[in-house]
Amino acid sequence: MRPAAAALVLAGIAVTALLTGRLVVLGVFVAVLLALAVRAGRRAAPYLWGTLSSALLVFALWPLLQTTGYHVLWSGPTVPVLGPLDLTSEELHGAGRVALQLAAVGLAFAVYALLLDHDRLLAAATGRRSVLAAALATRLLPTFERDARGLVEALRGRGVAPDGLRGHAALLSPLLAGSLERGLNLAEAMEARGFGRPGRTRAPAPPWRALDVAAVAGAAALVLAGIAWL
Amino acid sequence: MALASVSGLTFAYPEGGEALAGVSLAVEQGEIVLLLGASGSGKSTLLRAFAGLVPWFHGGRFEGRVEVAGRDTRRARPAELAGTVASVFQDPEDQIVLAHVEAEVAFGLENVGTAPAAIGPAVRAALAAVGIEHLAGRRVTELSGGELQRVCLASALALEPELLLLDEPTSQLDPAGADAFLARALDGRTTTIVSEQRPASVLPYATRVVFLEQGRIVLDAPRDEAVAWLEAHRPAWLSPPSDRRLPAPGETVCRVDDVSFAYDRPVLSGASLELHRGEVVALTGPNGSGKTTLAKLAAGLLAPQGGHVERRGSATYLLQDPGRYLVRERGDEEVALGADLARAAQALRDVGLAGYEARHPRDLSSGERERLALATVLVTHPDLLVLDEPTRGVDPQRKVELAELLRGQARERATLVVTHDRVFARDVADREVALAA
Repeated sequence: MRPAAAALVLAGIAVTALLTGRLVVLGVFVAVLLALAVRAGRRAAPYLWGTLSSALLVFALWPLLQTTGYHVLWSGPTVPVLGPLDLTSEELHGAGRVALQLAAVGLAFAVYALLLDHDRLLAAATGRRSVLAAALATRLLPTFERDARGLVEALRGRGVAPDGLRGHAALLSPLLAGSLERGLNLAEAMEARGFGRPGRTRAPAPPWRALDVAAVAGAAALVLAGIAWL
Repeated sequence: MALASVSGLTFAYPEGGEALAGVSLAVEQGEIVLLLGASGSGKSTLLRAFAGLVPWFHGGRFEGRVEVAGRDTRRARPAELAGTVASVFQDPEDQIVLAHVEAEVAFGLENVGTAPAAIGPAVRAALAAVGIEHLAGRRVTELSGGELQRVCLASALALEPELLLLDEPTSQLDPAGADAFLARALDGRTTTIVSEQRPASVLPYATRVVFLEQGRIVLDAPRDEAVAWLEAHRPAWLSPPSDRRLPAPGETVCRVDDVSFAYDRPVLSGASLELHRGEVVALTGPNGSGKTTLAKLAAGLLAPQGGHVERRGSATYLLQDPGRYLVRERGDEEVALGADLARAAQALRDVGLAGYEARHPRDLSSGERERLALATVLVTHPDLLVLDEPTRGVDPQRKVELAELLRGQARERATLVVTHDRVFARDVADREVALAA
């Protein structure tokens, strides 16, 4: 499938996930996207960890922040500011819905970042500069991860490994500074390679096939179904 | 008429001193010019001036005139010169834009307006010319540093430039890889200016040598004449032979016994190594042979998946990338992270950075960053010191000083140096351990 068609399908799934409240539909989306994301192997680990831990956190906190529903499953103490810590089946359903929506959107991005050919996506784009920025950001994600690991490793090599959340948080500033420096070097190299010069051409892309057209039509139908019935 | 010329060029970066001072140079069609000079002597700035990046991209004070193929770089932007000029910089990570090899090589061709039907054949021809046609469908994130550098060369050659600019392009390659790279890049078909800190590998191809010092040209001569001048005035650049004798081995500081390790694929299997106090050992081998992995196992940064590692005392490890050692706002605070300010000041003096205590580490040149990183691991006085490619981007004179520093402190510890630099390995090490591919 062409990357542009695959990107539209992923966008369709993400939009439908945000539109629907049905747990079964959301569960199917998450299962399918999860199965796709794990095909990327070890590269998928940070995406899966980030998405699934965030979804779990939302699932755990959501009922505490809500006071809705009549079917009480558990009555807890009254906490200042938060009020009574009751858990209702409606709150549990809401928590599941929001957590699954978050997981579906996060996993759709993970599949986009891990499995799609961003270069061909870029070639198909009309707003080239903005899409190039997005493609570059995606390409540089693994570099950013490697830089972060390298900073920690360098400190370990000096016998001063960062400790806990605070120790790691202190590395954010040098990591950001390093990324800006890398971005500047990359911009220089792009300028030297003629980026921004008028009269740009594109390497020819293969034509759309029936599968690509069907996938895009399916994505549009999914969104419409989300609006109408789901 | 010269293909490229610089006349009376003086240039200073914004908030910096003069990087080039009154430089004049004319490069004729077909020449291969080897640029030599210490770190910070202005080599990279001169290359960037030929590409128009100085002053267009960097700003600063620019006097004089630079012409390439009859075009004044004050009027033609770098993007307009692209195709006529092509550059390969030191670090491939900082110049690769796209995610796949073919798209990356096509990027420059698309920018300069190559006819769409001609792009595919030009990409395939460039990949074949550099001997990496097998990488065509690969993601760039899956490639080694050496492979990435060849992708960068293919991207440059695909443009069929009139002038090729190479800024220390082999710093990440093993000797065989560097030789193969240079044989292709300097085959005489393209006029080339190449800056290199390992001159021995480029001298056979060069037709002319230019030596820069503090932004001025102190030598501009044909190769043979330049070699005689280097022998007389800058012998370190021609790597005079070392006459050291082997020391008696001290106590064992680290024993690596029959270790194995795999990332996605096996990297090491049944590797053993013993390091003694008082000796300096060079660990060599081609790209991908597992040198860095073995060194990290020795230093305790990795745990072996098979076999075992024994260490006596403390160990420190210097990574290849000095950019990983820039986490504080001042030079002395950066070094003191592993000790205290008094020892940090001494370590800075040891590596030739006295007076840099208050400088922001990110304001240092690449060579100075390399030395700062070295100070950060020397400051703790470890029993085992592991240095991974410590001479990347370091000029020959500074390599001699680094070898002397390591030799001078060798009795205090066991030292393991991972290196591709044959000359440095010979100068610094008591023995060499070579890993096979």
